[in-house]
Amino acid sequence: MSLNDTKGHVIARTDTASTVGNKRKSEVVLRVIGLTKHFPVKKGFFGREAGRVQAVNDVSFYLREKETLGLVGESGCGKTTTGRLILQLIRPTRGEVRLLDSPDLTTLTNRQLLPWRRRIQMIFQDPYSSLNPRMTVGSIIGEALTIHRLAKGSEKQERVGHLLREVGLNAGSMKRFPHEFSGGQRQRIGIARALAVEPCVIIADEPVSALDVSIQSQIINLLQRLQEERGISFVFIAHDLSVVGHISHRVAVMYLGSIVEIGPKLALFEQPFHPYTQALLAAVPKPDPAKRGTRAILQGDVPSPIKPPPGCPFHPRCPRRFNPCDKIAPMLEQRTEGHFVACHLYHGSPASDEAPA
Amino acid sequence: MTFTQQSVGKGHLLEVRNLAVHFQMREPRRRILKAVDGISYSLRKGGSLGLVGESGSGKSVSALAVMGLLPAQGCTVTGEALLEGRNLAAMDQTALRGIRGREIGMIFQDPMSSLNPTIRIGEQVAEPLRWHGLMTARAADTRALELLELVGIPDPGKRFWEYPFQFSGGMRQRVMIAMALACNPKLLIADEPTTALDVTVQMQVLRLIARLRRERGTAVFLVSHDLGVVAEVCERIIVMYAGRIVESAPVSVFMREPAHPYSRKLLQSSPRLGRRMEPLDPIPGSPPDPLQLPSGCAFHPRCSSLMEICARETPPIFQCTADHASACWLHKGMPATP
Repeated sequence: MSLNDTKGHVIARTDTASTVGNKRKSEVVLRVIGLTKHFPVKKGFFGREAGRVQAVNDVSFYLREKETLGLVGESGCGKTTTGRLILQLIRPTRGEVRLLDSPDLTTLTNRQLLPWRRRIQMIFQDPYSSLNPRMTVGSIIGEALTIHRLAKGSEKQERVGHLLREVGLNAGSMKRFPHEFSGGQRQRIGIARALAVEPCVIIADEPVSALDVSIQSQIINLLQRLQEERGISFVFIAHDLSVVGHISHRVAVMYLGSIVEIGPKLALFEQPFHPYTQALLAAVPKPDPAKRGTRAILQGDVPSPIKPPPGCPFHPRCPRRFNPCDKIAPMLEQRTEGHFVACHLYHGSPASDEAPA
Repeated sequence: MTFTQQSVGKGHLLEVRNLAVHFQMREPRRRILKAVDGISYSLRKGGSLGLVGESGSGKSVSALAVMGLLPAQGCTVTGEALLEGRNLAAMDQTALRGIRGREIGMIFQDPMSSLNPTIRIGEQVAEPLRWHGLMTARAADTRALELLELVGIPDPGKRFWEYPFQFSGGMRQRVMIAMALACNPKLLIADEPTTALDVTVQMQVLRLIARLRRERGTAVFLVSHDLGVVAEVCERIIVMYAGRIVESAPVSVFMREPAHPYSRKLLQSSPRLGRRMEPLDPIPGSPPDPLQLPSGCAFHPRCSSLMEICARETPPIFQCTADHASACWLHKGMPATP
């Protein structure tokens, strides 16, 4: 436990230290410390607790203004749960979430959360099930304005029309229903709804995974433009490394509920430290038949989060495991400027001065 | 007719000629939806062909048509699908049942719903062998065990007796591959075989398919929306858009110099590792409604090389080089097939 706490603090403290060189220090808008969620597994008639799914384990990171943090990992690694924990859509077992100068969001009641929810919004993966089919597009987007008492009447109409135009739809769409739109257009409606309350952080959970290739790039461009114009920060959750690699400034790689590596995008993609990150990058199919079959691929499957392996969660699949891996869980340590990795291979070698004692 | 220049010679396992699948719509009444509108391609013995397209482009329907798996009601299949000269499109279900599973193996996208949850894995893998009367039950079991080992299931002796729910997604897809290969088919049709799998597991399954093709000479016909997946496994690629083939080429040529504006844009606009954050250059608009296809070339409203002729006339297939064809008016002047 004490180890875990230290780990959280290392990341939380290094954000100021690692603000790149001479560039202006942008403000940290979101800070997540030691976020943990264990779901009980119930069994039998009396709902006896038979185990716990350790969905998210001690996840810590920060997000700066106008920054995109990519959160990647395979299914079941806890990336979506992390997104929902940040928004308090699921209440965490442990940990803190702070938005701008907010108090710890995990301690607030739903009523107290409301003003902060205006600052942080979500875009969902499935553009079909995330829009109410019985509501017109205008009322879907306008609902947020009403709840937060931002506008009503004709002013509301005007703002909805403006938002629709901003995401590339025409204002006339507000009288239509979601089923009249294609997948890409629906995702634009979902984005307009998130933008309505003028958030400073958007959690985008696989926002392009359900879309066709030719539509994906349109949505990615839209998100980048909005970031540029409105200074929004994104937590971009995805399983597709090429999409994450395109849109993110920094990337965090998750495996079985923990962040195993986090760092600036280029550093992480060009010199991945963690064997899992290396394997993940090698497994992306490359549209170049000349490079076919030359890369090492990972064996085995992701283990069950109900019974995670002891020590490093990745050790049963790791091609470079050695002595301590199945006994001691590695902690995130800084390797280079802002680039952290949780792997025993790098323990003790030029790590950060922030390394826990 | 088209894309089959070399197919006149022997050695062609599958030859599809002018295949079309039309669905009779209930709503709007009596309209015809042309899901596949006259496509032709061929696959050599032991070869590998990838079919790429977006959702609704007709790629899965055309694969189902080849296997005779489309419903008999409300759907008309015309054209030919020749497996070593026998026309699958004209066969009745009884004849097809003798071919499916024996000469053609199939893998589908969802490995959970394609396996029977109440039957042990070993029995399911042995089933095609027994069904086709190739072996006694005991010999089929022995063979099933070998197959599980072949596709890389650890501890096959124990897993043989387990049920599908005890297998992970990647392992289930391996079981599907073992079933598909049980009767030593000449052709393996894989419709989005790795779409439901994680990246690291996807690569394991793709490598397995490529290895089996190499070792056993099973021809592979892979349908996918992902260019990367096709590039990983196949020699040739065909691209479909709105029910038609727009380009056909060897994968290496295609990746270097795609000819059709749609394929070119598709390659350019997909985000790729190692690229900077410059805005992508997306294809504007969305794929057309199959009930209201644009006139002329179906891609013309989204095309950046639009010419006057494009909206007026459907382009024939132009043969850019001997094995590279593209259905675009840009290549006018090259030898063409309608």
